[in-house]
Amino acid sequence: MPNNNGCVYGLTILSPILNDEKATPSHDLQIRNYLATLPTGETSPFAHAPGTHLCRLVVMDDVIYVGMPACEEHLKSKYLIFESNLDAAGGAGLESYLRGLAQAIPQHLDAVWSHCVGYPGAANAEAFVRYMKACQIETTFFFAAVNDKTVTETLRALQTQKAVADFIARHQGMEHAKLKAEFLEFATRLNAEPLPRPGTMGSRSGESDAWGRGRGIKTGGHNE
Amino acid sequence: MAIMSKLNETDIQGFVLRGYNLTYARYFYLHFEDAARARKLIARLLPEITTGQRWDGGKPRSTVNIAFTHRGLAAFELPIATLISFPVEFQQGMKKRAAILGDTGLNAPEHWDELWREGRVHAWLGIQGLTSSALDTASTEMLALIEETRGAVVLDSQDAASQVIAGKATTKEHFGYTDGFGNPDYLGVERSTQPGQGKLMPDGSWAPLATGELLLGYADEAGELPVAPIPHILASNGTFMAYRKLHQNLASFRAYLEEHGRQYGGGKEKLAAKFIGRWRDGTPLELSPDAENQAIVQDPQRSTNFTYGADGDGTRCPVGAHIRRVHPRDTFGFNGKLIDRRRVTRRGLPYGKFADENEPVSDSDDRGIIFMALNANLSRQFEFVQQQWIEYGNDARLGNDKDMLLGNHGGHGKFVVQGDGSQTNPPYVCTALPNFVELRGGDYFFIPSITALGMLAMGLVDPR
Amino acid sequence: MSNINGKVYAMNAVTPMKPWKTWVLRAIFFVLWNVKPLQQDLINLSFIEFARWVVIPRRRFPDLGNAQPKEELQYDYLLFFSNFNGTWNQYIDAFSAVLAKGLNLIWRWSEKFPGSVPVTIFKEYIARVQFDTDYYYTAYPHATANDLKSAHIVQASFDVLSQRAQTATPEEFAEEYLDFVLQVQCHLGETGEAPVVF
Repeated sequence: MPNNNGCVYGLTILSPILNDEKATPSHDLQIRNYLATLPTGETSPFAHAPGTHLCRLVVMDDVIYVGMPACEEHLKSKYLIFESNLDAAGGAGLESYLRGLAQAIPQHLDAVWSHCVGYPGAANAEAFVRYMKACQIETTFFFAAVNDKTVTETLRALQTQKAVADFIARHQGMEHAKLKAEFLEFATRLNAEPLPRPGTMGSRSGESDAWGRGRGIKTGGHNE
Repeated sequence: MAIMSKLNETDIQGFVLRGYNLTYARYFYLHFEDAARARKLIARLLPEITTGQRWDGGKPRSTVNIAFTHRGLAAFELPIATLISFPVEFQQGMKKRAAILGDTGLNAPEHWDELWREGRVHAWLGIQGLTSSALDTASTEMLALIEETRGAVVLDSQDAASQVIAGKATTKEHFGYTDGFGNPDYLGVERSTQPGQGKLMPDGSWAPLATGELLLGYADEAGELPVAPIPHILASNGTFMAYRKLHQNLASFRAYLEEHGRQYGGGKEKLAAKFIGRWRDGTPLELSPDAENQAIVQDPQRSTNFTYGADGDGTRCPVGAHIRRVHPRDTFGFNGKLIDRRRVTRRGLPYGKFADENEPVSDSDDRGIIFMALNANLSRQFEFVQQQWIEYGNDARLGNDKDMLLGNHGGHGKFVVQGDGSQTNPPYVCTALPNFVELRGGDYFFIPSITALGMLAMGLVDPR
Repeated sequence: MSNINGKVYAMNAVTPMKPWKTWVLRAIFFVLWNVKPLQQDLINLSFIEFARWVVIPRRRFPDLGNAQPKEELQYDYLLFFSNFNGTWNQYIDAFSAVLAKGLNLIWRWSEKFPGSVPVTIFKEYIARVQFDTDYYYTAYPHATANDLKSAHIVQASFDVLSQRAQTATPEEFAEEYLDFVLQVQCHLGETGEAPVVF
């Protein structure tokens, strides 16, 4: 099943965007503007709704003319692409993900998809799921580096890795009984730690806000 | 066998093709105030510039070479189309690339020597001498030419020299490591190749790298001519140099090694070896994990001839050791193809007073190494290695961990010595890493061919 | 509005294909999917978190009625979405250096594809067919694919050790602990900020 890879699901949605000449700014620009202000870190809507490893939203203006002798052609509508890599074990996986979105973040879904043709709103979860499925394109080939761990398991593993590295560094050459006692205490404490919040992770602040402040990006060169 | 055009060694500056092995060096940093006088100076210097012609008749007593920053080239009033055809990183200069290179905190430009902070260096004039007096003689001659033509202002100078022990020049640097191994072999440049220095072939043998990884105008490892400024004649037979003055905190290094050498089961010398990947005498850990072995060091067929395939866990040579980071060999699989375009040629010498093991030293003593990396493409080669393999560890599967000796640690970070179950090779973690090395300045230079120097001298550069 | 979030880069590309060629590509993907060893190279490149190819036949752009004009296209389109670690240049350099045949197999059916070697012209083509991401989210911005794999190894080893620690004597534990350290010693890299993109 090409949309699935292990317990990860590759969801590809193409939603036609409303084309209303009277709208100012146009619907696609309104989507863009909204997305530009949406946080991408731990306050992201996708951190709030469960199950998303990585996802993106892209307004595809048109297909691209690659130059002669290829023919020039154009799309009649713009499309909003939603590419998501999500936890979806089992057959009901996709539906439960979509319902999860509708329940957790309806206001954001509406803010974005209300500019798309035929969007019923997230208030009616069934209608929302039907709409998304109508816009779904089958993923032809889906590659995942890690395909057998959920978001929760991943965040926990990253937390463990950091704590373990620290423990090992601090307990070198320790006498056996003490080592065992300290390890048991460490393990208990670690298991009681709350799960790190998705969309963050890392000792130093690195949360990039919607304008990319805190991102360390300098322009590179054209040549390389 | 690869096909290439024969190298005209008389057109390439000798400094590019060879490490001269002349003990003493003096680098002058020049600033051009007037294009016409600068051209006269280059014209007068031209016959003095040491080319790549082989010294079959014996070493000269001194050598002279020259390289230019982008600002320096602009001072010759080259056409704007030529100037902007140089790679972006070279146009910006090393100071503006500080964030990219991880030159922040203690290595940030605000802590650099004034010479480099100011950004007025137009040219590097590198003189080397067999003896201290040969160096002085050559320096005096060059300064006289500069004075006579009024072609440049000498902003500053830097002396550097190999450490001389018992009358012989060595390749030891201040931390006590034997340096100078593993410069890449390029097609057409060396007469013979040394296993381990070129690129790894599918059958396990080593072959020279494509010439275009070092020199502009020749095919590179990607099967094309490297991106180069226009016109061809200005770029060909030239190369780029990243010049970095690396101050060494010898007191911190010695103290750190003492403290951790006591706690580490293999002892101090072995721990020092684990940082780099070679014992301090130059023996590669991969070939001799338990003891130094001069027989290997002295044999060019062995001293660089190893791969890491059988040491995937880093128990012989740690996964994050310096030489493994900057030359991963077969570590990434794919027959080494992912590293063939990430090699650089290193030149450079230590500067400052050498101190015996027992001599008291201070971090503020003026000593370190003048590091020079030569490559056809600064961003793909030097900058990539500096950013991705030294100040970062993802390709080595070490996350954000930095190179133990060169990393800009700021008191944080860690270095893991992987071990096996034995007493003398235990796993060990070094933490709270100081900056053993600090950047005090530098820049990016273009080392032109002899022909290109002639064109600069005559003001004869047209773009297309 | 960025292609980058922490250590991961979102690349989007769209290329046109003559419809008869789409069938060949589908067959190739089918083989790639079912003959797992062919995916080994992709796995070994270890800097891709998730990647997908999506073929959109010319008549299958979603049509929700409502007076949405029907698309009238000559070409089918191949969409490519990648989530990878490292810089744009590093990514393409790596593919061109070691997966040229695989890349060619997938993209030669797209119009005007120049081949993935030599790399400079290949990069120009990608720059032409790439379009930019409006919103990019990752649950773990400070970890790369390598970091994830290491983290899972550490977690698994830690779970085993925690179990054993309950009932082991100090001597037994010390041995188990050493084994544990040996298992995870290559997997302890710190996670954190990405290097500055250039």
